[in-house]
Amino acid sequence: MSEALSQVPLTSYLLVGLILFSVGLYGALTKRNAVIVLLSIELMLNAVNINLVAFAKHGLYPGITGQIFSLFTITIAAAEVAVGVAILMALYRNRGTVQVDKMDLMKR
Amino acid sequence: MIEKLLTLILLSPLLGILVLAFTPRYRAGTVKLIGILATLIPLLLSFVMYVQFDLNAEGMQLVHRADWFQIPIQDSVVKIAYEVGVDGLSMPMVLLASVIATLGAVASIAIQKRWKEYFILYLIMEIGLLGVFMSLNLFMFFIFFELALIPMFFLIAIWGYLDREKAAMKFLIYNGVGSGILLITFVALFIKTGSLNMAEIMTRLSDPMSPFNLPDSPYLISEGLRTGLFLALLIAFGIKMPFVPLHTWMLKSYQESPIPMIMISSGVMIKMGAYGLIRLGVGFFPQQAVELAQWIGVLGLVSILYGAVLALVQKDLKMVLAYSSVSHMGIVLLGIASMNATGFQGAIFQMVSHGLVAALLIFMVGVIYERTKTTVISELGGLAKSAPFISGVLLTAALASLGLPGMSGFISEFQAFLGLFRAEPVLAAIGTLGIILTAVYMLRAVLATTFGPTPEKWQDVVDARPVEVIPMAVLLGFVILIGIYPAVLGDVVQGTLQNLVPRIGG
Amino acid sequence: MDQMVENAWLIPLFPLAAFVIMVAFGRQLKTTAAYIGILATLASFVLALFTFLERFQEGAETFYQPVHWFSIAGFDVTMGYEVTQLNALMLVIVSLVSMLVHIYSLGYMHGDDRLPVFYQYLALFTFSMLGLVISPNLLQLYIFWELVGVCSFLLVGFYFYKPEARAAAKKAFIVTRIGDVGLFIAIILLFWWTGSFVYNDIFNAVENGVLEPWQITLAAILIFIGAVGKSGQFPLHTWLPDAMEGPTPVSALIHAATMVAAGVYLVAATFDLFAASPTALNVVAYIGGFTAIFAASIGLTQRDIKRVLAYSTVSQLGYMMLALGAAGLIGYAAGIFHLMTHAFFKALLFLAAGSVIHAAHTQNIFEMGGMWKNMKVTGWLFLIGCLAIAGIPPFSGFWSKEEILLSVYHAGRMDLFWIAVLAAFFTAFYMFRLFFVTFTGESNLNHKPEESPVVMTLPMIVLGVLAVVAGFINTPWNPVLGEWLTYGMEGELHVEAPAWISVVTVLFSLAGIGLAWMMYNKKSLSRDWLSGRVPALYQLSYNKYYIDELYDTVFVRPLRGIGIIVNWIDDYVVDGAVRLTGRITDSVAGLGARMQNGQIQTYGLVTVVGLVLLIVGLTVAGGYYK
Repeated sequence: MSEALSQVPLTSYLLVGLILFSVGLYGALTKRNAVIVLLSIELMLNAVNINLVAFAKHGLYPGITGQIFSLFTITIAAAEVAVGVAILMALYRNRGTVQVDKMDLMKR
Repeated sequence: MIEKLLTLILLSPLLGILVLAFTPRYRAGTVKLIGILATLIPLLLSFVMYVQFDLNAEGMQLVHRADWFQIPIQDSVVKIAYEVGVDGLSMPMVLLASVIATLGAVASIAIQKRWKEYFILYLIMEIGLLGVFMSLNLFMFFIFFELALIPMFFLIAIWGYLDREKAAMKFLIYNGVGSGILLITFVALFIKTGSLNMAEIMTRLSDPMSPFNLPDSPYLISEGLRTGLFLALLIAFGIKMPFVPLHTWMLKSYQESPIPMIMISSGVMIKMGAYGLIRLGVGFFPQQAVELAQWIGVLGLVSILYGAVLALVQKDLKMVLAYSSVSHMGIVLLGIASMNATGFQGAIFQMVSHGLVAALLIFMVGVIYERTKTTVISELGGLAKSAPFISGVLLTAALASLGLPGMSGFISEFQAFLGLFRAEPVLAAIGTLGIILTAVYMLRAVLATTFGPTPEKWQDVVDARPVEVIPMAVLLGFVILIGIYPAVLGDVVQGTLQNLVPRIGG
Repeated sequence: MDQMVENAWLIPLFPLAAFVIMVAFGRQLKTTAAYIGILATLASFVLALFTFLERFQEGAETFYQPVHWFSIAGFDVTMGYEVTQLNALMLVIVSLVSMLVHIYSLGYMHGDDRLPVFYQYLALFTFSMLGLVISPNLLQLYIFWELVGVCSFLLVGFYFYKPEARAAAKKAFIVTRIGDVGLFIAIILLFWWTGSFVYNDIFNAVENGVLEPWQITLAAILIFIGAVGKSGQFPLHTWLPDAMEGPTPVSALIHAATMVAAGVYLVAATFDLFAASPTALNVVAYIGGFTAIFAASIGLTQRDIKRVLAYSTVSQLGYMMLALGAAGLIGYAAGIFHLMTHAFFKALLFLAAGSVIHAAHTQNIFEMGGMWKNMKVTGWLFLIGCLAIAGIPPFSGFWSKEEILLSVYHAGRMDLFWIAVLAAFFTAFYMFRLFFVTFTGESNLNHKPEESPVVMTLPMIVLGVLAVVAGFINTPWNPVLGEWLTYGMEGELHVEAPAWISVVTVLFSLAGIGLAWMMYNKKSLSRDWLSGRVPALYQLSYNKYYIDELYDTVFVRPLRGIGIIVNWIDDYVVDGAVRLTGRITDSVAGLGARMQNGQIQTYGLVTVVGLVLLIVGLTVAGGYYK
């Protein structure tokens, strides 16, 4: 099984990562619902994770660093989602919406 | 003491600033008096400088040097020094700057508000003006160049006429672009030659054995780069001079600036451009200058004729003078384009001469405006009846401007054309049209103002007051002195020209 | 008496000193200014006279004294003075006429509160004119050349409150300046070709073949252009009649006797240069000849007393040019001779005209009439002037005009000869038309004119005497002046011409006088018997061949048109480009500002676009930027 997986070339992992990242990016930039935006960001993070793991196996200096790094990312992502959703809750209570385009306080 | 003379001249306006800082702002009379007195110190010291100047020496004189600071660059350390000095090219300019600055200060008594700030800014500007002509390295040159520019911006924006903010913005941005180009050029020169000292750059660029000139050296500065740098300098200083088509900033600032500012601007500041072009442009890249001489001549010619034709149809006296400045600075370009000692001498004469004459003319316009509250030609007329003295001086100034022998304008024009006829006879022949056109537009404007029937409203115009007579008399005095005895200026520039001209093969 | 010539440099300095004093004290001088001026010109005249007489001694060499003025790029430019036969004569003429005009003006300008200013200008003019004459080099000549021009300008515009005076002054300055530029170029070119401004160096270079023939011709023609402007030759003659807006003494001094003769003087002073180029001489001769007849034909119909005299001046100057150009050394002597006699009789005519105007308060001759009764002195003097200019023996004009005609005939230039004879006929006619209309018949004035005061008539009497006797200095059987003038110059001075020439020319002049007498005095011929038949010709002459209108349409209006167009270009194209640059910067900035909308997603998008651009850039550049 692990043999079979290591047969898969690096490009394929990167391609998957790229597609995942692009989907996430698209979602993050276009979706109005903040929850979906958060989900999209998760997708992008996961794309990064795939790249990290793939490079840890097939990169120029294979090692365990990449996998450890992706563990960190997952942890941080979890924390980030928790904080993000908490902010969203607070926002919803205050403004009655989670639409992203309604939130332009940065300009004002 | 004498070796610190230039530093004293340069810093002496600071004394005025210091005293002004402790003067109550509401005491207009005192502030004005201090302002004028403060400009007298550099003026007197400049005359000392003129006396001390050694006519026979080549190169820089009265040099004062001190270490300033260091910049570590890669593996070496570049020392930036404070260094000032004058030669035959810059000495007349320093003198001109201090003379015009004093007379501008005298003309500033007509300023109506915020005298204290005005004179402080004015004196800072004077330091900048003096510094540009004294600087011996590019770093200082640039700093003083900007030091003159910025106060001018405020002086126009706060004390100008109706549309002053816009004029000041246009002045600042246009000249800022020029400064930007200048800065890039200086940095490029510094990176390539590793020096900021003008004389050193000059030798490094010209010495055939230096690594910057050997064909296979890694430090070689290519022909293309040199041409590029020369063109950059031409544009940067061309904005300042200004020549067509880079002249439009001047029109607006002529219209909206307070009179003393136009005196400074057309008397001294635009000469910084011509000075820079000769000292840095031609000085650093003589070969490129010779190659492009024809085009410089064409630029000059276009400026002369374009300015003259436009001055012919202007409705406002100030605009006539603005375009006349463009036209007259074209003659400086013609002198430079001739690339021989005669032409250069003509260019330097023209710089000084135009500085004096333009300052006088614009001062006269200011005097007239103060009395009539208008500078529109068609509304003026017949002033010779009620104000014969003012009219007489105005007419004399106009005659000086159109190159009447016996006054400085003729000597300069003559030398510039003399030089150009040797190098580019065809261009020069076309350029002489400018001599005719100058007479046409100058007489049109001035005679319409002073001659003719006197309208009812100008019957009681008061003639010149003593305080106004001083600038007129001083400026006219210099104009006539140079016209009758050109050696006062000619002898000064000889030594330097002897140094400069062999390098351009003239 | 050897010292006299060494003091010649003082001659122009007396009027200069007078000028400086007058300027220093200003208007408070009142009539004292006049006396200062008279004294200074008297001093100049005396000195000039002694210098002149000294030239008649045997072996009087050209005296030349240069001093260093300043250096142009290592080359020493000198100022100095020179006394030759030619300019010694000119010095006397100028200082004499100037002195007489100074005296005359005391009466003419009486009561004008700007009298000191008038005398300032006069003194400055006298200084400049004497300086011009005494100059040993072209640069110095040019300096004074311009200075006399500016004095002429100031004096034409003396009545500055009159719009016509303003226009005339402007025109005088600008039109002569067109000519001056020619001289200016010639001086510069000659300097580069011969390495000097000094006459003698230039002549030596010409003689030694340093200059190519085309160079000589070009330089000579350019110099002649300067002379054309100053001497009011066609096509730059238009300023001179307009210059009559100035006070009449000025017209006498500047626009008749001295300054306008400077053009002739210039050609004479550089005659060696002209002599080396037949083409240039031809140009001089034909322009002179054409101007002589052309101006005379305009003079036939003018109604302003001073304008008639002005056109006659133009015509007479053309005569002198004709002589200089057509007839070699004899012509040279004749031209200068005529210059001298003309200075006397034309100054006389102008002063007499001034006296008439002073009494009549008008310049239109048809508003005068019958002045003879009340102005005997002026009348007689005017008559003398008319007889002199018409070339009736034994008045001075006869001798000089005769000399010109003889020399032209002798040179075999028959076309020019007949032009000159015809011009002489015209001259006699219009001068006596002027005389008869002004002095005879019934008075059309509504007041009784009074004779001018002695201070005005006295200078006129002096000139009157000179106008009668000055011709005897150079008679065909004893050409003292001619021999003296051409002393040391090579060439044939002996004239052999048939006697019928004198008879014919005098007859032509008499015919002109007779015709004028019949038309304007006896009135046996109707005044418009000719103009009624060919009104087109009359209109052409009366309107000065529409030259002014022509220049206006061909030069002035197009120039102004170009100015307006270029002004538009400057506003909308040149400055438009500047404004456009500003506006583009502004709108780009506006675009940037619009993106600042607070929408986090927009920011993200911009970031991504930037990143993509960066990556693309790196890819295209092939890696890290060096």
